[in-house]
Amino acid sequence: MATAEAPIGRVATTRGSRIAGAVCCVPSRCVANDYFVDKFGAKSVEDVVKMIGVKERRWVEPGVSTADLCQTAAERLLPQLQWSPDSVDAVLFVSQTPDYMLPSTACALHGRLGLKRGAIAFDVNLGCSGYPYALWLAMTMVQSGAADRVLLAVGDTISRVVDPKDRATAMLFGDAGSVTAVERSPETAKTAKTAKTADTDDTITHFVLGTDGQGEGHLIIPAGPFKQRSEAVDARLAGKNAACLYMDGAEIFNFTLATVPRLLTALLGAAAIEREAYDAFAFHQANSFMLSHLAKKMKLNPERVPMNIARFGNTSCASIPLLLCSDLAPRLKRESLQMALLGFGVGFSWAAASLKIGPLRVAEIIER
Amino acid sequence: MQEFFQGLAEILEIDPGEVVPELVLAEHCWDSLAVVSTIALVDECFDVMLPSQALVACQTVADIEAMIKSS
Repeated sequence: MATAEAPIGRVATTRGSRIAGAVCCVPSRCVANDYFVDKFGAKSVEDVVKMIGVKERRWVEPGVSTADLCQTAAERLLPQLQWSPDSVDAVLFVSQTPDYMLPSTACALHGRLGLKRGAIAFDVNLGCSGYPYALWLAMTMVQSGAADRVLLAVGDTISRVVDPKDRATAMLFGDAGSVTAVERSPETAKTAKTAKTADTDDTITHFVLGTDGQGEGHLIIPAGPFKQRSEAVDARLAGKNAACLYMDGAEIFNFTLATVPRLLTALLGAAAIEREAYDAFAFHQANSFMLSHLAKKMKLNPERVPMNIARFGNTSCASIPLLLCSDLAPRLKRESLQMALLGFGVGFSWAAASLKIGPLRVAEIIER
Repeated sequence: MQEFFQGLAEILEIDPGEVVPELVLAEHCWDSLAVVSTIALVDECFDVMLPSQALVACQTVADIEAMIKSS
C-alpha cells in the first residue's frame, strides 16, 4: 500500500481583516550589471544574468538599515491612510537583517514611529516566506481581537551580507523595505449580526504554511552570533567567508521544484477557488529562470505571474509587497483582485495566502 | 532523449552532435549554473527531479542518463 505523502503545510483561515495599503521604500542607489564586469568578467556576468534575470538592483549606502527603509515607508503610509501613530495596535518587523541582536527591531520601530505605549511589537526572523507569514500573523491578531490596526514592516538589506567576490549571490540580491497596513474590515464591524457565507465574504483569507528544517544549511550565514556552522560540519563551506551569505543554488532549485507546485495546489484546495479565477499569482522573486520554470510547470498563464526581479533583484521577504506596490499597483488602487501570494526559500520555509486585495488606498514605491 | 541532448548542448555551449554518452562534463561549461539548468531540463523533459549533489558528482553524460533512468 502506498504511503500517503505528508501534507505540504498547515492550513489556516482568517476572517474580518484586509490590507488597507502598502508602501515600499528602496534605496536610491541603483546598481546596474556593468558594475560587476570588472569583478567577474563580461562572459560570467552575462551567464549569471541570463539565469537570474536581474538588470539592476537597489543597494543601501553604509549606515542605512532595513528598519530605516521601513521607517521611511511607514512615515509615508500612515498619513496617507490618515492613521495617527497612536491608532496603531501592533507592529511586526519581518527580516533577517535586523538593526540589533537586541532589542527587537520592532520595538525600536515602535519608538521611532511614535506608536502608542502599550502596542504589540515583535520581530519575526524569516526571509523569502516572510510576507505571507506576516499576513497570517496580522490577520490572526485582528480576528482574535488583539488589534484593529497592524503595521507589517517587511524587508531586508541582503547587500550588506553578500560576499562581493561570490558570483552566486553578489549579483542576485537587492535591498528593500516595506510597510503594509492591515485593518479590521469595516464591513465586519458594521454587519456583525449579518452572517456572511464563505462565497460572499471578501474578508476571508486562506493560508498554507510549512517548514523543512533539513534545508538549514543550503542558504545561510554560517557565522551566527552564538553558533558557527563550520567546514567540519559542511564541506561546502570550505574557503567561504563565514560572515557572508552562502547559497547552494541547485539545492534551492530542487527545493522549489518539490515544494512550490504542491504549495499552490494546497492553497487552491484550501480556498476552493479555481486557478483561472485568480487575477494574479505573486511569487517571491527568487530568480527569473526558476520562476519561469515553475510557472510553466504549474501551467499558469504568464500574464498572471508578474515579475519585477529585473528592476529590483531578489529582495528577500520584500519581493511580494514590491510586486503589490509596483507592477500590480495601478490595478490594486482601482479594483479588488483575487490574489495568491507565495513565498518560499531560506529555512527551508514556505507560506502562501489566497485573498482579495484592493482597492488599496495606497500602493506605491518611494526612494530613500 | 533527443530533446534532452539538444538542451544539454545549449547548456554546455557545444554543438548537439558533440553530446555523446562518454562526453566528459568537466571539459565544458559544467558549473553551478549548468547544474541548475540541467535540473530544470530533466524536470521538463522527463518530469524527474535529480538530486543536486549527485548531479554535481556526475563525470559524463552517461552518468546523467543513468540517474534519469534509475529515478
